[in-house]
Amino acid sequence: MKKNNTGIFVGILLIVITLVSFSSTFFIYKKGINRQNVQNQGTEFQNTESQDTIKVVTSFYPMYIATMNVIDGIDGVELESLSEPQTGCLHDYVLTTEDMKNLSTADVLIINGGGIESFIEEVAKTYPDLVIIQACDGIELLADGDEENAHAWMDVSLYEKQVENIAAGLSEYDSANADKYKANAAAYEKRLQPLAERMSKLKEQYGGGDIIIFHEAYDYVADALGMEVVFVMDLDEERQISAGEQADVLTAISDNEVKLVLADATYGKKMGDVVDAESAAKTIYIDPLTRGEYYEDSYIDHMNENIDILERALTDIDGN
Amino acid sequence: MAGYFSEIFKYDFMIRAFVAILVITPLFGMLGTMIVHRKMAYFSDALGHSALTGIAIGVVCGIADTNLSMVLFAVVFAFLLNQINRKRLVATDTLISVFASCSTAIGLAILSFGGNFSKYSALLVGDILSITSTEIVYLLMIFVATMVFWFIAINKLNAISVNPTLAKSTNISVRVIEDVFAIIIALVVTLSIKWIGILLINALLILPAASARNISMNMREYHGYAILFSIFSGVIGLIMSYFNNVATGPMIVIIASVIYFATYIYGRKRR
Repeated sequence: MKKNNTGIFVGILLIVITLVSFSSTFFIYKKGINRQNVQNQGTEFQNTESQDTIKVVTSFYPMYIATMNVIDGIDGVELESLSEPQTGCLHDYVLTTEDMKNLSTADVLIINGGGIESFIEEVAKTYPDLVIIQACDGIELLADGDEENAHAWMDVSLYEKQVENIAAGLSEYDSANADKYKANAAAYEKRLQPLAERMSKLKEQYGGGDIIIFHEAYDYVADALGMEVVFVMDLDEERQISAGEQADVLTAISDNEVKLVLADATYGKKMGDVVDAESAAKTIYIDPLTRGEYYEDSYIDHMNENIDILERALTDIDGN
Repeated sequence: MAGYFSEIFKYDFMIRAFVAILVITPLFGMLGTMIVHRKMAYFSDALGHSALTGIAIGVVCGIADTNLSMVLFAVVFAFLLNQINRKRLVATDTLISVFASCSTAIGLAILSFGGNFSKYSALLVGDILSITSTEIVYLLMIFVATMVFWFIAINKLNAISVNPTLAKSTNISVRVIEDVFAIIIALVVTLSIKWIGILLINALLILPAASARNISMNMREYHGYAILFSIFSGVIGLIMSYFNNVATGPMIVIIASVIYFATYIYGRKRR
């Protein structure tokens, strides 16, 4: 008697859970699709007549902006980005189900390369037909211990080369539009040129000297300014800083009479405060451009802001 | 609605995850019944945490396959815990807790060296989507081993948990069976930790069995319901995590918890 009741209870319970969870997921799923439609605006329509559209997926923000400019105004090319990690760099990023879905319909994947996209081997194995363009190809990367430091987009002149690489890669894949890609790339590079000029002016005026960085990406900024990095503390993600490391930074500052420290506002703030309070150096916060808003001039605008901040700090230091 | 389901199996990674879930969850249901029955929840929790130390040791020794060091360490750890359990000198739960915290701390300390912990943070919540075919084969092997052990030793294990002295007198080698059981838990926990995550693995072991215990009248029902609940939460959790784009482990545990609360209320009413 009782046993029977239990069986019925369990049956009902499981059915109810199934129904509730499915109806709720179905709802969310639907909503998700609607939202995507709004985001992609027109592109979703092209997707239905998909055969001759080329779907390009980029790994993260700087690649997306560069590609966006290269394919500007060219019909039949659709651009999407992998969903990005909410924190820090892409280094140990794990692909989500959303990404896998996205990649399974993609024709071309554009990555930065140099080891930042650690998931790339897995992707290449899973989707052997996917054409992968590495923006870092042929660029001489700075060293990071035994590894390469692949944050090349932080140096405007190297970013220009990345744009060229992307255009070259796309031209090879889609030769019909080759001229357009190259023309777009040239036009974008022209607009990047003022940034590069501002940087070289800063180098001439205030270059040289020692600097400390709290993010590997700023190695390229220091390099563009002709400054020597005497200490790197990679605060790319949420992590605990040991007392020893903290002391090392302060010692490096006083030993080398470092005046300037470059940090990332999200992760370097705590350590930056310590530096400001306990040493003669000044910490300034610039954007490592690993994330940002997706519009064509996004890179240019943010890089300009970075250079503004650098300029102000360097003038200040020079004045004292 | 039909397209909605078939979409799941368009991707190889989802098929692999699905197979893995179908192998892991019955295993968890079965082992869970025994763990709950023998009040070993602390024990399996400690084992889960020891995985961190196992990996850390592997990293320090430069072993390429940290799975190996993890499994070895967990087996040693399980033996040690069993040994302590037998002495019954100190409050066992406190001692196991101390061991678990200590091994977690050692693991965290080593892995966080040089600020690299983010590489391992995936271990905390698990990632079933990245499971490979070889790893599924490992899971299948341990699945078969557990089944064999189960059919040979289930009655003896029950006898031991009812009364060890009585069991001994009927010529059951208590020690051997307890050790083998501990090793099997260690193997299952360490091999599935990457997919379920350290924070949640114990929940998945305990919840289905505890839910079944709330409502079952006899041993057969107890085991049957535990396995049913376990598979059910696994499958529904995986499908839901796919559509909602959230981590799979937590989703499974949420479903298992809902079942637990429902059975708890039902069980209390009946009494």
